[in-house]
Amino acid sequence: MSRQHVSILLLTLLILLTGCGDQRILERTGFIQVTSYDLLKDGRIQFSISIPKADPEIKVSREFLTTVAQSGKEARIKLARQTNLLLVSGQLRTTLFGLSIARDGFWEQLDTLLRDPTTSEQIKIVVVNGVAHDMLKKNYKEYPRTGKYIDRLIEKEAKGHTIPVTTLYSFTRDYYDDGIEPVAPIVKDAGKSIEVDGIALFHDGTYAGKIKADDTLIFAFLRENFKHGEISLDLAKHTKESKTVMLSSLNSLRKMDISHKGEHANVNIDISLKVSVVEYIGELSLGNKAHRHKLEQQISEILTHRATRLIQYLQEKKVDSIGVGIYVRNSMTYRAWKKLDWYEEFPHVNIQCKVKAKIKDYGFRR
Amino acid sequence: MQEKLSQFHVAILIYMIQSGVVMFRLPQILAENFGTNGWLAILPVSLIVVLNILLIGVVYRLGKGASIFEILEQSIPRIILFPFYLILVCVWAMIGCLITKNYVLIFQMVAFPTTNPMVFKFVLDILIFFLLIQSIYNIAKASTVFFWLLIWMVLLLFFYYADFQWARLTPFIFRGSSATVEGAFSIYSSFAGYTLCLLLFPYANKKTKLIKAALIGHLITTINYIYYCFIAFGFYYYEQLKTLQFPILNLLAYIQLPFIQATENLLYGFIMFTIIVTTVMYCWSAKEVSRRIFPINERLLSAIIIVAAYLFSFIPDISSEVEQWLAYLGYIEFGISFGLPLVLIFVLLIHRKRGAAASE
Repeated sequence: MSRQHVSILLLTLLILLTGCGDQRILERTGFIQVTSYDLLKDGRIQFSISIPKADPEIKVSREFLTTVAQSGKEARIKLARQTNLLLVSGQLRTTLFGLSIARDGFWEQLDTLLRDPTTSEQIKIVVVNGVAHDMLKKNYKEYPRTGKYIDRLIEKEAKGHTIPVTTLYSFTRDYYDDGIEPVAPIVKDAGKSIEVDGIALFHDGTYAGKIKADDTLIFAFLRENFKHGEISLDLAKHTKESKTVMLSSLNSLRKMDISHKGEHANVNIDISLKVSVVEYIGELSLGNKAHRHKLEQQISEILTHRATRLIQYLQEKKVDSIGVGIYVRNSMTYRAWKKLDWYEEFPHVNIQCKVKAKIKDYGFRR
Repeated sequence: MQEKLSQFHVAILIYMIQSGVVMFRLPQILAENFGTNGWLAILPVSLIVVLNILLIGVVYRLGKGASIFEILEQSIPRIILFPFYLILVCVWAMIGCLITKNYVLIFQMVAFPTTNPMVFKFVLDILIFFLLIQSIYNIAKASTVFFWLLIWMVLLLFFYYADFQWARLTPFIFRGSSATVEGAFSIYSSFAGYTLCLLLFPYANKKTKLIKAALIGHLITTINYIYYCFIAFGFYYYEQLKTLQFPILNLLAYIQLPFIQATENLLYGFIMFTIIVTTVMYCWSAKEVSRRIFPINERLLSAIIIVAAYLFSFIPDISSEVEQWLAYLGYIEFGISFGLPLVLIFVLLIHRKRGAAASE
């Protein structure tokens, strides 16, 4: 071998051997996949984790550990005493927050997650209507292991926009933005399964209220534009000829106009929806243009009504979760905006909402 | 005859020297010092750099492409020049090694928290040494290869279009900030490195259009920075950007592929290429200058510089210390960037006057 070969060999060895300094052996590592936080009465936090198991000798599919501590990282040290695995949080996918800690605010926990360079900003944030520890501990027989189950459930529901995708990124982004408040999906234990319970609203990082599961799609098109969604409307109360309609492939476009006449800002929210009708029970015949228009109008009216009610609820709770503040801010001068206390101003803003639905198709039946 | 640098190679080389670790912090620096729409602040700073490059262009034109050492040594006695040369060598070698150290410290924090960073740096320094003993022409060629390994990362920014929101940028310009001289300076330091083209004079000919190439390189850097920071400001609210240590790393971490989670580790590894080029070029400059003082074997000189720099980099051992050192060196580098061309122009003008007087 020439001298050059030797030096190349040495160099390669050197580079490869550097990696031996900081070993992580897969079998000896516990990848925390889900964590849960609950606030106890004494002010301490109950912290639980779920780790998937890959050991063929052990029958269970996951390891569940729980402890009580002052902070997340202290809890991790305590949890490490209970397991033979090296706990790492690089594979953390979901964090569950019990209602107790959500009411008190879990910003400190998020701060810790953000500081840790190994955790991803794509971690999902989920609020549990109840005790998060209990939900994570429970095994739902007919479903994948609990952590994965919740993760997939949220992911799937978010795709249909019935709940917002709330990740560590989007939560902190909206937390820091002074024109919008963060939201998070809320789930509950329904005996044999887990059920999406609606959307949790936050006021300055603390839980301030909930949007019911039935209204989540209406909330979704008030908050953002989207391309997929499904909603079923009960028309029987409002009209004579129609009973129910189910809308799919919902496509929404939101426009916000701000004007400053009078003491408080005036906000016009125009939402145009394009929908496919997949179910319609009633007397109208959708093949008929006039009938179709009538149905469009009925849908628009009901949705406008429901959206207005939802905005009123948000104003009562003083949470601007739909981001009206962003547009009001952008229509003002910086100084005027900074002088404004948006939390106090939001309930007084005059918001007009108008939903306009358009049927793009109605299936194989005329 | 020695091969001359091509325009393309110089442009790429300048870009590669300029971009480095500071880029990862840039959106944070901008948000803290300029507040809303801070990304716009890149433009005036970039303009200052353009003026500086044009100043170097004046030297190039007046000196008719002569090496700066020849220009200096024909008018100023060597005894006076040597201490000045020594300062240049020290500043450039120190900047070079601290840039690597800074990179290594961040890499270690993200990926290997318990490994000694100096081991990493040692491996990197060996690579740097092997590149350093090549001719400048080969270094430029290598950096072009590295450039292609890196530039595709710009395409990753498509990932953020979905979460990018124009309304989040706000219509306000430079509000809600506490500007400091230090901060404004760190923006400048993200562009530093172009000064080294002063040393490229003897390796270029008319076809190179050295100054135009440097300007193109600088333009690529500017566009790259503006694009990244613009995306960052629409992706995060500026108040949040203030709280992030390395916003661009956070951006990279946001990309999640089904089979891979911590993408930033992988992508951060690619940045190593610009770090290598930056360090090599600073060390190369230090070597060029020291050759004037110690006319010995080039390889030996390179080895001495690398070893000395490596030993020096033991002193600042945590990230904030390294950054503090780099900030101080940045001030000096700023002084050199403007001072050296001005001195050269002065010397050239005096020389020309004398020459004209002599010929009369």
